[in-house]
Amino acid sequence: MNLNIEIVMAFFLLSCLMLTACSRMLHCIRIVVLQGLLLGVLPLLLAEHIHTEQYVAAALNIIIKAAALPVLLYLAMKKADVKRELEPLVSYPVSLLVVLCGIAGAFMLSAHLSLPESSSNSLRLVLPVSFSVVFTGLFIVMARKKAITQAIGFLTFENGIALFGTGMMLECGLAVELGILLDVFVLVFVMGIAVMRINRAFEHIDSDKLVLLGETSGGNEK
Amino acid sequence: MIVLYLILIPAVFALLIFFCRKSLLIRSLLLLAGFCHLAGMVYLLACPSSMPECLKNWLVTDVYSGLIAAICSVLFCAVSVYIFFWLPAAQKFETAYSTMREHIFCSVLCLFLSTMSLVAFAGNFGLLWVAVEATTLASAPLIAYHRSPSAIEAMWKYLVICSVGIGLALFGTFMLGVSMRFSGSHAEGLGFLMIADLKNTLDPQWFKAAFLFCLAGYGLKMGLAPFHVWMPDAYGESCGPVAALLSGALVNCSFLGIIRVMNVAPDKLLPFCREYLIGLGVISLAVAACFIIKQTDFRRMLAYSSVEHMGILAILWGLGCDDAAVLHVMGHSACKMLLFLTAGNILLAWGTAKSSEISGMFSCLPVTGFIWCVSILLICGAPPSPLFLTELLLIRSAGPVLGGIVLLLLFVIFCGMTSTALKMCMGKVEHAPVAAAAEKAERLILIPALLAILPVLAGIYCIIQF
Repeated sequence: MNLNIEIVMAFFLLSCLMLTACSRMLHCIRIVVLQGLLLGVLPLLLAEHIHTEQYVAAALNIIIKAAALPVLLYLAMKKADVKRELEPLVSYPVSLLVVLCGIAGAFMLSAHLSLPESSSNSLRLVLPVSFSVVFTGLFIVMARKKAITQAIGFLTFENGIALFGTGMMLECGLAVELGILLDVFVLVFVMGIAVMRINRAFEHIDSDKLVLLGETSGGNEK
Repeated sequence: MIVLYLILIPAVFALLIFFCRKSLLIRSLLLLAGFCHLAGMVYLLACPSSMPECLKNWLVTDVYSGLIAAICSVLFCAVSVYIFFWLPAAQKFETAYSTMREHIFCSVLCLFLSTMSLVAFAGNFGLLWVAVEATTLASAPLIAYHRSPSAIEAMWKYLVICSVGIGLALFGTFMLGVSMRFSGSHAEGLGFLMIADLKNTLDPQWFKAAFLFCLAGYGLKMGLAPFHVWMPDAYGESCGPVAALLSGALVNCSFLGIIRVMNVAPDKLLPFCREYLIGLGVISLAVAACFIIKQTDFRRMLAYSSVEHMGILAILWGLGCDDAAVLHVMGHSACKMLLFLTAGNILLAWGTAKSSEISGMFSCLPVTGFIWCVSILLICGAPPSPLFLTELLLIRSAGPVLGGIVLLLLFVIFCGMTSTALKMCMGKVEHAPVAAAAEKAERLILIPALLAILPVLAGIYCIIQF
C-alpha cells in the first residue's frame, strides 16, 4: 500500500515539472489527464475499507477530471486555433528553476508542520507534494500568456488542493465532493466560452494583451 | 423546508426562462421569480422553523443567513422591477455592441439568486465554498452582457482572479479540516455548529493557516485591498442592474464566509484574526482614497467606493462592533444598489461612463441629477444615512490613532466622490444626451428614487434610536 502511494506522489511531482517545461498545449492537456487519473485512484489506495460511496466518487473524479475537462480544453484549443505557447512571460528554463525551488520550499515548509498523531508515515509525503502542485498551478497561471494555458494552470492548482484534501483523508461528504467537481467543470466550461469570445473580440488569446482596463492605461484615456 | 424552497425556486425559474423566447414573458417571469423569493423570505422571517434532522449538517438558519438572504431577496426584487423596464430601453439605445440574448441573461440572473441563497443558508464549510464558487460562475457571464472587448476582458479577469482566490479558500477549508483532526474527536464533515463546539481544541498552527487562506480567498471575492483588482473592471464594465447585484448582494455573501470562519476561531486566536481583518480594512480604505480622487470613470469610482466600504466593514468586524457591522451591510447594500441603478440610467442617456463628458445633469436630467447627488451623499455617510451612524461608531471605538487615520481617509474619499458627482451635475450641458434615451432614463429613475426612501428612513430611525 505505502509503495503505491509513494509512486502516485512521485508521478504528481513529475507531472508538475513536465507541465512547466512543456510548450505544446496538447501535451499539457495530456498531463492534466494524468493528474486526474492519479487523483481518482488515490482515495482507493488510501482507504482501508472501501465503501461504494468511494467508488462512486473515484469514478466521477476520473470521468470529470480525466475525460470531460480535457475534452473541453481540447475543443477550446481547436476553436482558438493555437497549438503552442511560444513566448511565455517567463521562459521555460527559468520556469523550471522557479518550480524546482518551489518544490524544495514546499518540502522544507512541510517539515515544520505537525500532523495528527493518527496519520501514517506515507501521509507525510502528501503535504509537500500537494503544496508543490498548488505552487506550480499558481505559477503557470501567472507566467503564461495564453488563456488556455492559464486554464490548465488553474486546473493544476485545483488538483493540488484536491490532492491535499484526499491525501489528508478529509471526509466532507459526497455532496460536497460532487459540488466541487461540478463547480470546476462549469468553471472550465465558462472559461472555454470566454476563450472563444476573447478570440473573436481580440483575434488572439494572449491575456497579457488584455490591457483595455486598468488604472494606468485604459481606464483614464479610453 | 422553506429554505429549500428559497434555494430551488430561482433555479426552477431559471429553467423556465431559458426555454421562453417572448421578451415580455421572460421579463414577467423574472419579476415573478423575484417576488416569489421575497414572499418566501418574508415567510421565513415571520415564522422561523427549525431545520429537519436530515439537513442539519448541510443547511443552517441563523441571524447572519437570514440577514444576507433577506438583503439578496430585496435587492433582487428591486433589480428585477428595474430590469423589466430597463431591458427594452437598453436594447433600443445601447446598440454599440451586440448583447447577450435576453432569455440567457434573465435565466443566469435567476441562477445567480439561487446560488446566493445557497451561500446564505449553507451550513458547512464545504457547501459554503461550493456555493461561493457557484456565485462566481453565475455572475461571470452577466458581466459580459455587452459583448464589447473591454467587457469580455473584465469577465476573463473576474473569472481567473476570483476562481484562483476562491481556490485559496478551499485550501483554507481543508486546512480547517486538518486542524480538527487534532481535537481527537471522530466527527466527520465540516458543519459550522459542530466545529463551533470543538473550537478550543483545534490545532492553533493549522487554524492560523486556515484562517489566512480563507481570509485571502473570501476577502478577494469581497474586494478587500490588496485583492481588489478585479472589482473596478467588473463593476465598470457590467450593466447597471448587474453591477447593483454584484456590489449590493454578492459582496455580503463573501463577507459571510469570513464571518463563519471567525465564528469557529479558538478563543485565544481571536485577537490574531481581528488584527488581520483590521489591517486589511485600513489598507482597503487607503487604496480606495488613492484611486477615487482622480477617477474619471464614474462606475469605476463607485467600485472603489465598494472597496472602501468593505474596508470599513472589515474594521468594524475586527473591532467587534457586530451590530454596527450588520447595519453597515444593510446600509451599504441599499445605497450601492441605488447608485449603480442611477449610474446605469446616466449611461443609458449619455452612452458614456466618462465623467468628464457629462455635465449639466441638473438642467437636462433634473430628477436623475438630484437622485445621483442624494445617493452619493448617502454612500459617503452624510446624515441621515445609516452609514453615518456606523462610521461614527467605528471612529468612537477605534481609539485615537486608528480613528484619526480612518477619519482622514474618509474625508479624502468624500471630497473625491462629491467633486466628481457635482461636476457631472452642475454647469452647462456640453454633450447633450440622446433625447429619446434621456426621456426614458428620466422615467426609469422613478424606481431608484422610490428605493432611496428606504435607507433614508432607516437612517433616521437608527439615529433617533441611538
